[in-house]
Amino acid sequence: MGPNLNSNVRFHPNFSSPLPRQALGEDEEPKEEVEEEEEERRSHKEVEESQQRLAKLLFEGTQMVTNIQVAADSRETQRRAEEAELKQQRVKKLEDEAKFSAYEFEKIASKWALAEDMTVPQELWQLLNQQQQQCALLLEEKNKLIGELQQELKNKDEQYVQAMKKQSDDIHLLLERMEEQIRIMLKTYRHKLHHIEKAFEFERRELLDSNRKKWEEAIQAHNTKELEYLHARMRKVEEFEKQLNQLRVQDEEEYNSMKIQLENDVQNLERQLQQTKATYLLNQEKLEYNLLVLKKQDEENTIIRARQKRKINRLHSSLNNLRTKLDKQEKQFREENQSLAADCERITGQCKEVQKRMRHFAASDAEKFTEVWLMNEEEAKWLMRKALDADRIIHTQQLGLPWEQPRHWFLNNIGPLRRYKAKRMATKLAAEVLAGGTESQCPWHPCGTGKPSPSSVRAPSVSPFCLSCQGLDLGSQHLPVPSEPARILGSLGSSPGLRELLGFPWCSVQLKATGLFVTHEGQHPWGLRSGSLREKTRSAKEALQVRDSSKDGEYWEALAHIIPETTLKLWDALVAALEEY
Amino acid sequence: MQQAAGSSRPVPSLRRSQSRLTADSYCIHRIIEDPEWSLAAVPQLTELCLQHIVHNFTQNPILDRLLPEHQRKVLDRLPTGLPLTVTANLVSDEDYWKRCCTERWQVCDISGYGDSWKRMFFERHLESILKSFVPNTTDPNQVLELIPLCKDYVRKLEVDQFLPPLKVDPEEEADDTSDSGSDLGLGEVPVHHYDLGALVTALPYLEELHLTYGVKDCGMNFEWNLFKFTYQDCCNLAGAVKKCHKLKVFKLTRSNVDDNKTKLLVRSLLDHPSLVELNLSHNLIGDTGAQAVGKLINRSKLETLDLCNNKIHRTGAQALAQALAQNCTLTSLNLRLNYLGDEGGEAMGRALLANTTLKSIHLGSNMLSEPSAVLLSQVLAQNTTLTSINLSCNHIGPDGGKQLLEGLAGNKTLTEFDLRLAEVGQESEFLIGQMLWANRHAAQLAPQPQPPAEPL
Repeated sequence: MGPNLNSNVRFHPNFSSPLPRQALGEDEEPKEEVEEEEEERRSHKEVEESQQRLAKLLFEGTQMVTNIQVAADSRETQRRAEEAELKQQRVKKLEDEAKFSAYEFEKIASKWALAEDMTVPQELWQLLNQQQQQCALLLEEKNKLIGELQQELKNKDEQYVQAMKKQSDDIHLLLERMEEQIRIMLKTYRHKLHHIEKAFEFERRELLDSNRKKWEEAIQAHNTKELEYLHARMRKVEEFEKQLNQLRVQDEEEYNSMKIQLENDVQNLERQLQQTKATYLLNQEKLEYNLLVLKKQDEENTIIRARQKRKINRLHSSLNNLRTKLDKQEKQFREENQSLAADCERITGQCKEVQKRMRHFAASDAEKFTEVWLMNEEEAKWLMRKALDADRIIHTQQLGLPWEQPRHWFLNNIGPLRRYKAKRMATKLAAEVLAGGTESQCPWHPCGTGKPSPSSVRAPSVSPFCLSCQGLDLGSQHLPVPSEPARILGSLGSSPGLRELLGFPWCSVQLKATGLFVTHEGQHPWGLRSGSLREKTRSAKEALQVRDSSKDGEYWEALAHIIPETTLKLWDALVAALEEY
Repeated sequence: MQQAAGSSRPVPSLRRSQSRLTADSYCIHRIIEDPEWSLAAVPQLTELCLQHIVHNFTQNPILDRLLPEHQRKVLDRLPTGLPLTVTANLVSDEDYWKRCCTERWQVCDISGYGDSWKRMFFERHLESILKSFVPNTTDPNQVLELIPLCKDYVRKLEVDQFLPPLKVDPEEEADDTSDSGSDLGLGEVPVHHYDLGALVTALPYLEELHLTYGVKDCGMNFEWNLFKFTYQDCCNLAGAVKKCHKLKVFKLTRSNVDDNKTKLLVRSLLDHPSLVELNLSHNLIGDTGAQAVGKLINRSKLETLDLCNNKIHRTGAQALAQALAQNCTLTSLNLRLNYLGDEGGEAMGRALLANTTLKSIHLGSNMLSEPSAVLLSQVLAQNTTLTSINLSCNHIGPDGGKQLLEGLAGNKTLTEFDLRLAEVGQESEFLIGQMLWANRHAAQLAPQPQPPAEPL
């Protein structure tokens, strides 16, 4: 029963009425927070008080509930004490009884020994009877004790049932009290909460009232002050108005005088303004004109400048072009020069070949020439003889005139004419050739005046070689000769137009030529060798080379005119006479 | 049964729809052309699937692989009668277990179960099985099979009834009705209760164990035998408790634990790594048992010790007092309804002069008188940790009351001092009450506001 009473129960109705209701414990904490803000308030006090009272109420209620438990405990201890006492008594009683019965039993038992000694049956019977009686007594006593104990047990059972009933009553009471406490606590908590709320509300209302009062007072004070300020302001306004009027009158007067003065000033200034305007216009026109002029000039200048610039640009570009062209040409000329030098060498070789061939052909030509000559001469002579025969016949037979054999130098001539011109000097030839060359000074000029004769064109390039060849022919007899062309070449080079046209290639040719002549001048290895070779065929060559054909015509003419004009006339006349005849 | 229902239900519906499909196929055309027909009337495929999952959950529990929203739907529809082997470790949803609990029990207060419905379900389920377990009759596998399912959730076991084994003798069964005859007849027959050893050691998270070896609501079938806590039971229990290393609270009440059994239990509890509270109230512990408990006080982490309603006399009290004088962990001691007497009370008083950790002591109904009060007044004057003393139902007397009043004059910490039915005199009681109010008020204003402690 103990632990069951331990349940948490709080209240007893006896305590509910005298106790003032106070606020709920749980509500106190938030309230307390509020209170902390404004301390020493009525609600604060209220809450604190209610807290204490509630705690007290709770405590007392709990006490009330636990009273039952304590009472039960107390009863239990009491019962235990009684029980212990009873037990002790019972034990003592039992012990006493046991002692007594043991004593009795021993007494009985000791008598059994006597019984063995007994011999007389009556005595033995008596003894046995006695023993039986005593045993019965003992048993009776024991049974009595048992009965007592059983009675006690029954009583205890009853007591147990009673105790159970009591306990159940207690439990019921406990439950009742617990419920009551809960109910009353709830009620009081609610009540107290209400109370505290009221207190707070009251406080709030008070606070509001006081605040409103303060507010109203402040408003009133404010209003009176405002009124005062308004009055003061009105007064000031009036004052200021007066002052303003005064000032206005003064100012008006001042203003009028000032106005007149200013108007005068204005008129003067206007006049001045007009004047200045006129000058201004004039100046403006002038300046505009100037501006125009300057603008035009400027435009012109810009145009000129632009043109100049363009010109510069063009010239620059042309300069560049020319430069590139120059470079190109230089390159070209160099290449040309090289190719020409190569050509020159090749041509020199060819020339030598050609000369060799020419000599050969000349020799063969001369032979052929003589053969043809002889054949033609023979034919001519046959024809001539025929003509002469005819003439002789005409003369002798027709005319009867004596015919005379004409005697002519050429009639006896057989073979080509052997009249040779005097050997022309190499120097003379060179001089002639060069004279021809100088006469046609610019034969290679691109815009030359006329086409040079093939010989003259070839002159500058060929002449040195011819000269050299002829020089070689002449051997070392004509040593000064090779220097001549060099000089002439030099003179050629010195003429600016020619040099300009020929450029570098010319100079290189000149130098080469000079070098060539220098070698001729020096050792003449080739010249000497070839010179000795040529000595053998000199005569034939001379005949070939120096043959003069100027008399050939005469010769052939003379052959043709073997019949003189007179004879021909005679013949014509004869023919005519014969026809007449 | 459910499995059959779950599997059979969807099949006929399918068949029905199929038959309808085949029977009047032209009706389908009409449905399509029907302007009133709407898709909303047709359950979605997911819906059907979920329904199927719910119906066949026993055979094929699919839950983890579902989407959260579908999980929710499935859990809401799961019947509460599913076998625990399926649901125990798969379903962790509180709502499901809430449904299970509320369907099974009328009163459900999850505040005592760590606010977990699942834990509540398993603890109460296990408790109900243990309460109705009859040794030698009930199949022990009934409990053992449950272990793997509930071991992760059970934190507290509160078994207030252990049934004794059924009597073998049919003649004694008839004795059930008679009160007296069975007392002697069953004395020799060993009637051991269910051995908790196998169960308790298999629960790794067990923290609280509240046991009462007795039978509830026996009514007129009362037998002493029903409340017999045998030595074998005690041995089993001691072994089980020793292996339960996480145990914090151990309560063995109203179980007729005597000195020998106490010694046995204490021996197994010595140096227990986590035990904090021990309750052996309403037993038959005598002085030697108290001496054993005194030994336990200093060889454990005990903070709360309840030995109320035992048979401890002065020697036991002296042993406890000696332990208390050295101890520095115990904060609450309850010796209500014992037989300490003045010698025991004086011993306690002397111990409290030295002790600096005990906050609450209950010495009610202990046959204390003035000499104890004299010593306790010294204690009140010196001790600054005690906040609650209960001396109710003792014969302290008016002089003792005055002594206590004097002692309390200098004390600022005591907030509870129960002197009801202690014959101290109204005046002293009133003045003491006043002082306590002052102390309580001071304690409330102090940084640690404590609600008025419940009187023990």
